[in-house]
Amino acid sequence: MVQERRILYEHLDVPDINTFDVFRQYDGYKRFEKAIKEYQPDDICDMVMKSGLKGRGGAGFSTGLKWSFVPRDIEPRYLCCNADESEPGTFSNRYVLERNPHLLIEGILICCYAMGISTAYVYIRGEFTLGKRMLDAAIEEAYQQGYLGKDILGSGFDLDIYSHPGAGAYICGEETGLIESLEGKRGQPRVKPPFPAVEGLFHKPTVVQNVETLCNLPFLMGNGVEWYTDIGRTYGDTRFDPPQSDPNTGTKLYCISGDVNKPGVYELDLGLTAEELIEVAGGVRGERVKAVIPGGSSAPILTHYELECRLDFTSLTLWKSMLGSGGIIVMNETRNIVDCLLNIMKFYAHESCGQCTPCRWGTPWVRDIVQRIADGEGRQTTMQRPKFGVAEGGRWGDTGEMEEVYEDLDLLESVANNIANVDTMTWNTICVFGIAVSWPAVSYLRKFRPEFEAAIREGKLVTLSVEEATVPPEENYAYQQRIVPSLFEAPT
Amino acid sequence: MAFIKLNDLEVEVEDGTNIIEAARQHGIEVPHYCYHPGLTRPANCRMCLVEPHVFFPPAGKVVPDRQLATGCTTTVRTAPPDRKLDGKYDFIVRTDSPRVKKAREDILEFLLVHHPLDCPVCDQAGECDLQDFSYNHGSGKSRYLEVKNVPPKKDLGPDVLLYSTRCIVCTRCIRFCDEVAGTGELGLIHRGSHDEIDIPRDHDENPLRLLDNKLAGNVVDICPVGALISKDFLFKSRPWFMKQVNSVCPGCSVGCNITVDYKEDGLYRIQPRFHEDINQHWMCDDGRLGYHYVNSEDRLQIPMKRVDGELVPTSWADALNLVVEKFSETDPDSIAIIGSAQATNEENYLLGKLAHEILKTESIGLFGREPDEEHKFPQFTIDADKNPNTRGARDMLKLGDDASLTEEVFRDGIANAKAVYLVNGAPERPLDETAKQALEAVDFLVVQDIFESDVAQLADVVLPGVTFAEKEGTFTNAKGWVQRIHRAVDPPGEARTDWEIIQQLANRLGGEMNYHFAGEIALDIAENVPDYQDATHQKIGDGGVKLNGGNN
Ligand SMILES: Cc1cc2nc3c(=O)[nH]c(=O)nc-3n(C[C@H](O)[C@H](O)[C@H](O)COP(=O)(O)O)c2cc1C
Ligand code: SF4
Ligand code: SF4
Ligand code: SF4
Ligand code: FES
Repeated sequence: MVQERRILYEHLDVPDINTFDVFRQYDGYKRFEKAIKEYQPDDICDMVMKSGLKGRGGAGFSTGLKWSFVPRDIEPRYLCCNADESEPGTFSNRYVLERNPHLLIEGILICCYAMGISTAYVYIRGEFTLGKRMLDAAIEEAYQQGYLGKDILGSGFDLDIYSHPGAGAYICGEETGLIESLEGKRGQPRVKPPFPAVEGLFHKPTVVQNVETLCNLPFLMGNGVEWYTDIGRTYGDTRFDPPQSDPNTGTKLYCISGDVNKPGVYELDLGLTAEELIEVAGGVRGERVKAVIPGGSSAPILTHYELECRLDFTSLTLWKSMLGSGGIIVMNETRNIVDCLLNIMKFYAHESCGQCTPCRWGTPWVRDIVQRIADGEGRQTTMQRPKFGVAEGGRWGDTGEMEEVYEDLDLLESVANNIANVDTMTWNTICVFGIAVSWPAVSYLRKFRPEFEAAIREGKLVTLSVEEATVPPEENYAYQQRIVPSLFEAPT
Repeated sequence: MAFIKLNDLEVEVEDGTNIIEAARQHGIEVPHYCYHPGLTRPANCRMCLVEPHVFFPPAGKVVPDRQLATGCTTTVRTAPPDRKLDGKYDFIVRTDSPRVKKAREDILEFLLVHHPLDCPVCDQAGECDLQDFSYNHGSGKSRYLEVKNVPPKKDLGPDVLLYSTRCIVCTRCIRFCDEVAGTGELGLIHRGSHDEIDIPRDHDENPLRLLDNKLAGNVVDICPVGALISKDFLFKSRPWFMKQVNSVCPGCSVGCNITVDYKEDGLYRIQPRFHEDINQHWMCDDGRLGYHYVNSEDRLQIPMKRVDGELVPTSWADALNLVVEKFSETDPDSIAIIGSAQATNEENYLLGKLAHEILKTESIGLFGREPDEEHKFPQFTIDADKNPNTRGARDMLKLGDDASLTEEVFRDGIANAKAVYLVNGAPERPLDETAKQALEAVDFLVVQDIFESDVAQLADVVLPGVTFAEKEGTFTNAKGWVQRIHRAVDPPGEARTDWEIIQQLANRLGGEMNYHFAGEIALDIAENVPDYQDATHQKIGDGGVKLNGGNN
């Protein structure tokens, strides 16, 4: 049985850990002191690069690499801490803010010292009123104790932290949407490039980093690179391992919800399989697992055949899904996948910022099609197709068997793919919200097609048994392609 | 210069050019909506997707990039020698690959899902990018079965209506108000598929601000679809029923380049025409909406003479004879010729010739509309001088640069004159009391005008001239650009082209002018007026020429 490894969450339950004094008793700010006393900023960047730390906010992009893109000769530079945590199924940042805000401040301090940044903003999801209150109090205390402000601990390093509440838009979690919102504009993602690292907040180089990513820094600083890279599952014990050139190190705050017996946040080594994770969370509630969303609602779904997939950034990409924010939603045999997709598509149709054409008008369209299917009004015709394609030597008039054609399913897949294409892994939108809409939609449809067909055929939602509902592995597009790193393949 | 491969062409384009412009320069259309060369580039419509090619190390060759790129924001640059593609290209892009075509079709399908398809009642039909691109790149059928959004029609300001249902949310209008006008009246309300363009409103939906800046009309031009509509033009005409000529706005001495849309019965619409150094893509609403006087019923249509204190219609022969008679009786030193800052260079040149060579008088003056305020915007300025040709008139009449248009100077000019030939031609030109008195003191006043204006009312003989839309000629703007206006419609009634009136009068006074068209006069101007050597109609063309090759 896999054990939790609590690092970021180790002291989460210590009474009054949110106060400076108690935080201090548990090594609080000592890692930062070590950083400014013993390390040059560049050394820290180096450590972060070597640690293999990947951003925990969704994209899983190498933090060290991101830092290396920031031009050091442009002043000022900014840090934006992304605490907008709005991805359905995700709730790990929130506990850090509410319970252990000093840890985040220490992470921010280390990042800013390494990057020569003297102004940091924490963009907090508007609904996190408690989290914001706690963080604000901690920031206040840190100023009083001389850990924020001018000439911190006599080192000559200055840092101011401002917290800023969002106003209730999911898209403000996207890094450039966040920056626009912080600048006081409509939260609409920017066209990239330029990437924020080069031109971000107020057109200055900006590091955008998730709460969890930043909270890794004190421990990396305190314990060193080797300690850090040792965390993470040893590979070689599952059938499908990602390339070792791209290690997934450290722990991940997996948020497990849905049909498990003990939902919650579990801090575990990266690289656990979905099966193991469900076990950690007390096993499935109900008879059996029907499906698992591995990375927040934006991630393509996994069937019960795919539970041996490792839940790390690289492996899930190879399985044509993603770890995203680490929000894992487990569904048992009672769940209807059409209904589930409808729920998710309602969310995305509501949250599209509306800036670009395919997402603005494609997302509600996808929602409406799914709604129609769920309402039992999906279209279906019976067609007689030529026996052979003309290309294979068939002739007009060669008749084949009568075939059921589910027009709305074809339409659904086509519209979704026109926003962002699952097969070519491309998108026609400004930001990857488009992917968050279309990839799940197509994955639900392709992997659980029988349930969609049943809804159309029967004229109402029908929940099939797990076996009946799921497309077998040999017909599963992701399963078939999982070993081929298609992302790195040349297009033909 | 970057050397690029554009589809199957090998072409050179300037560094920093985007793909849309690079393609346009070589006759290839990349359809687009949100991109406008005069505005920033949000890349939100996604219509301009093209296929760049990149070097792919594992394959050791150049391949189409995984993602399509937006042609509006993708710019080409000269690559360092070791980074050339296929050994020689700085950039390789296709605008016609199957992938690109598919993407265009898909975007167009999205653009049309909520569109009311009301082209038959839409003003934009015939000059609509949505229609045109759908026709050229769209699929021709819709797969959309769901309910369409029906956002409300809105009155945004004095001249602009918004048919929200047709809006494709390209934000050109918002960006125009933010960036060019700097007034920022427009914004988006709601979110996602409910996005709507709007002006600020209070909780009862009453406007807090209107789209009423002096450049507002430009949003109608740049709206790629029929969402923003000019009330002035609403339901007036189908574009294909109108004819169009290039011209220059007579509203002020900026000299914005324009197109004039007209039919036999008059002018229908004025729109800006691009000129890099003068007006870019824009014009002001004074110029845009100020054309109605051309169509006015009150235009002078027939010569008039004063009989028993009243102006009564007469024939051209009679009117001209009367002028010749009076002028011949008057000592040349007591004759004043007053040119017009509203008239063309050609007309003022003939007036100058008439004064200097035929009448041999030194009293030459200049008349025109009085200056107003200057209006400055971040990317546009409306000049205080409300005449299109003050500079040119001065040059033609050999008046110094200080020959101003103030009332005092004008009064001094006619103070000692017994007979005055004054050309006006302004759509409106009220006179103050002292100016009236000064003109009343003149024994014999000939006024050439387009309306029964304050000056015309004081005249002994009135000669009906024409507006900018009824004649050929050139204006010199404040910056020294000489530009051409073109005849769109016929003069009303018996009104005649101004230079012809001047020529006839001059010849009856003993001159020997023999011009057949305005361009002929311009040839003489080029020969005789300093700095105008390039200002022949042929050289001026549609783009204008700068005085003395721009060396002044
Ligand atoms: C639609 C959308 C929503 C996102 N929401 C969040 C969010 O709530 N929190 C977050 O940290 N990152 C979010 N991201 C990811 C950010 O864009 C960005 O990648 C991240 O903040 C970078 O930090 P990291 O490298 O530390 O993960 C979102 C991305 C997208 C496309
Ligand atoms: S993809 Fe959607 S969320 Fe992203 S910019 Fe476009 S409309 Fe906005
Ligand atoms: S009104 Fe016209 S210019 Fe403005 S956003 Fe809509 S389509 Fe674009
Ligand atoms: S700025 Fe002057 S020239 Fe230009 S449109 Fe306005 S009035 Fe006409
Ligand atoms: S013109 Fe390029 S995205 Fe609109």
